[in-house]
Amino acid sequence: MSADKSTQRVTLTSNENTNIEVDRVVAERSMLIKNLIEDLGDDVTSAPIPIPNVNDPVLRKVVEWCEHHRNDAVQSADDDNDSRKKTTDIDEWDQKFMQVDQEMLFEIILAANYLDIKALLDVGCKTVANMIKGKSPEEIRKTFNITNDFTPEEEEQIRRENEWAEDR
Amino acid sequence: MPAAALPGMPSQPRDDIDNTWNYLQNGITRIMLNLQEGVDLHTYMGIYTAVHNFCTSQKATGFTHATNVVGVGSSHRGAHLLGEDLYKKLTEYLTEHLKGLVVASKAHTDEALLAFYIREWQRYTVAAKYIHHLFRYLNRHWVKREMDEGKKNVYDVYTLHLVRWRDVLFTQVSSKVMDAVLKLVEKQRNGETIEYNQIKQVVESFVSLGLDEGDSSKTTLDVYRFHFERPFLEATKLFYQNESKQFVAENSVVEYMKKAEARLEEEEERVKLYLHPDIAIPLKKACNQVLIADHSNILRDEFQVLLDNDREEDMARMYSLLSRIPDGLDPLRTRFETHVRNAGLAAVAKVTSDADKLEPKVYVDALLEIHTQYQTLVKRAFNDEPEFTRSLDNACREFVNRNDVCKSGSNKSPELLAKYADLLLRKSSTGVEDAELESTLVQIMTVFKYIEDKDVFQKFYSRMLARRLVHSTSSSDDAEMSMIGKLKEACGFEYTNKLQRMFQDMQISKDLNAGFKEHLQTLGSKGLDSSYSILGTGFWPLQAPGTNFTPPEEIQADCERFTRFYKNKHEGRKLTWLWQLCKGDVKANYLKNAKMPYTFTVSVYQMAILLLFNEKDRNTYEELASTTQLNNEALDPSLGILLKARVLNMEGSDKVGPGATFSLNYDFKNKKYRLNLNMPMKSETKQEEIETNKTIEEDRKLLLQSAIVRIMKARKRMKHQQLVSETINQIRQRFVPKVSDIKKCIEILLDKEYLERLEDDDLGYLA
Repeated sequence: MSADKSTQRVTLTSNENTNIEVDRVVAERSMLIKNLIEDLGDDVTSAPIPIPNVNDPVLRKVVEWCEHHRNDAVQSADDDNDSRKKTTDIDEWDQKFMQVDQEMLFEIILAANYLDIKALLDVGCKTVANMIKGKSPEEIRKTFNITNDFTPEEEEQIRRENEWAEDR
Repeated sequence: MPAAALPGMPSQPRDDIDNTWNYLQNGITRIMLNLQEGVDLHTYMGIYTAVHNFCTSQKATGFTHATNVVGVGSSHRGAHLLGEDLYKKLTEYLTEHLKGLVVASKAHTDEALLAFYIREWQRYTVAAKYIHHLFRYLNRHWVKREMDEGKKNVYDVYTLHLVRWRDVLFTQVSSKVMDAVLKLVEKQRNGETIEYNQIKQVVESFVSLGLDEGDSSKTTLDVYRFHFERPFLEATKLFYQNESKQFVAENSVVEYMKKAEARLEEEEERVKLYLHPDIAIPLKKACNQVLIADHSNILRDEFQVLLDNDREEDMARMYSLLSRIPDGLDPLRTRFETHVRNAGLAAVAKVTSDADKLEPKVYVDALLEIHTQYQTLVKRAFNDEPEFTRSLDNACREFVNRNDVCKSGSNKSPELLAKYADLLLRKSSTGVEDAELESTLVQIMTVFKYIEDKDVFQKFYSRMLARRLVHSTSSSDDAEMSMIGKLKEACGFEYTNKLQRMFQDMQISKDLNAGFKEHLQTLGSKGLDSSYSILGTGFWPLQAPGTNFTPPEEIQADCERFTRFYKNKHEGRKLTWLWQLCKGDVKANYLKNAKMPYTFTVSVYQMAILLLFNEKDRNTYEELASTTQLNNEALDPSLGILLKARVLNMEGSDKVGPGATFSLNYDFKNKKYRLNLNMPMKSETKQEEIETNKTIEEDRKLLLQSAIVRIMKARKRMKHQQLVSETINQIRQRFVPKVSDIKKCIEILLDKEYLERLEDDDLGYLA
């Protein structure tokens, strides 16, 4: 290893050609980057790593999250335990972190998906789930700015099929 | 999301499979074929991003359903995940690549083929790991969904590589690769140095291909076992079958054993060096079969030769070889047992030209020598294995109890052993060292363990112990106690109870004598310098004298004083005088030409005779007989010794008996001033032996009866047959009872109404 892993720095380049320098451990919250360094060797970190699908503000936001969670235990790939999936509890810092406009929220989710940061993807999805929870279809449409393109017949059919899920 | 295209990345639309695949294929080919040149950052990110972009494009070709950002799809299945096309393309690509390798492989054979296989395998698997990472997005979503839905034949990208390798290449070349492996191994077995790392890598490759169809995250050894282990074992068997057949034909069995041993070791090393540990047990089994089991008969035939020649090291080798195969050692044990028995019998036969004059030490030493010899062999050559020890024990039991000496009487072995013990424990001029004595006693116990008639030993031992105690000829109390302790340990409290009581009696007598002395002093009367032993009738194997006797007055008086003293202490006890065991010292003051008076140690009978010469110098046989009241069996030998020692002279007859006259020899001379004239009488010793043997039969009957009663008291009701076998079980530690004797004892007990006959051959206990 060319340098101590804990002090190594990595430069990420957004699709707006801006560079963000972070500690290697922070960057490695992303499985994509972790595998990349593993495959291409430590020396690869001397050059900036292009992140072609993420723009500068989103990348900075993602890096902020990774900095905060740099010491979290890495989840194994199969760690899909049910409790984590079901619960919509989000820790306080993450809640604050996610208080962004809707567009940014979706951008973060897409970036987490692309960069393969499972924990961040989960937090993003849970945030969206909390926005949906307890709302009527009409309210949901309003929240996400969706036009209703169902015919009344289609709507009726969907309601029947999902009757079991309704609170009564 | 606007994407800044990396150099060479597919241009829009990003959901075009052909565009995307063209781009990907270039990168994959580079990874597959030229990885050593490295992959640059941009290509890496480019491929990953292209896969991601294709899978997240909203209208991939080949899908009719539209997908919605939020995921409320019109299809019931929910969101569509794209990727099938990529997966298919990748599969096709791999298949083509591997088909090419199959063709290329045909140019190689043997070691070159091995090298080719390993080189390509390594290149392929390293590339697979890269591609697995680059296609991670496909793995995370499309593949995962397919697998979650239980689709067969969809694997994560790395596993897909392995599956393709197995299905396209492996099926075509594995047997050729295996042939090359086996050729290489054969070379090594023939002594050549080989590149065994190649084989190790082939093994690893075969193992990696063992994919669990049910769960792709697990591997099985099925592929390896079928394609590697099976042919490997077959080749191994064949090789050693041929080799051992030829070797045995040209070399001695001992040489073959060395060879086999070396080969077995070599194969174990081979597993450690470059084979999978899974093969260790089947390989060992296969080798054991062809190298040992197939030749076990000639090995076993050689065993007798080795035994005859004491080839310890070779026997150890044979043991370790035959212990590897099931039931390999049983025939060895049988032969060993027979051999030891014969050796024991021969050793006994050698020392018994004349059974009557056989020295106990010579006999016991002969037994011990054989035992020690073969016990050492068991320890050194047979791993001190309990089974062999049992064979040794069986053999020893046989030759200890049923040898040439025992022909004259089955009691001979215990009798001689007891006599040897007596010899060791008696005061003797040779004086055995304490440490040596102890170890010799331990050896006696070794033989004792094998003696079947332990009751006979007990009889003789107690008689001889009695004699040692009465005559104070025991060499040391410690040694006596140690021996009794050993017997107790071997046979229990009951067996040594009487022996211990005899010891106690001697101690009590000592105190009693001290008390008596004190008593006399307070009375102011001066008796003889005498000492008495009070021996409990039940514990001592002694009989009242076989003759009348009137003791001399001096002794009579002292005895009466002691009797009064004793009866005063213990009322109601009856004292029987065992005159035949009494002895004393007399001083010969009549010999004037001696510088100092002689002292004779004599039996009390002799003393009575000699004291008569205080009154007159000549006595006739008849006078002596009537005064002492001794019968001729006691009188004649007593006189005989006095005559032989020339204390007395005889005239008027040639032999001791009526008509002879005895006179004091005033010219008596001897170098020693102290003489022991108290010799054991020959007739008495012989008599004793006969007595002992007679009482054994009587005692056995009682022992059997008490065992039967004990059993019946516990069980109340029992079948006749059962009772007999139970009795044998209980008695076996003492002696081996005859069934007919047991039946006789049952009859006796029925007569005495301890038992009753019930229906159905049952016996009942009558309280």
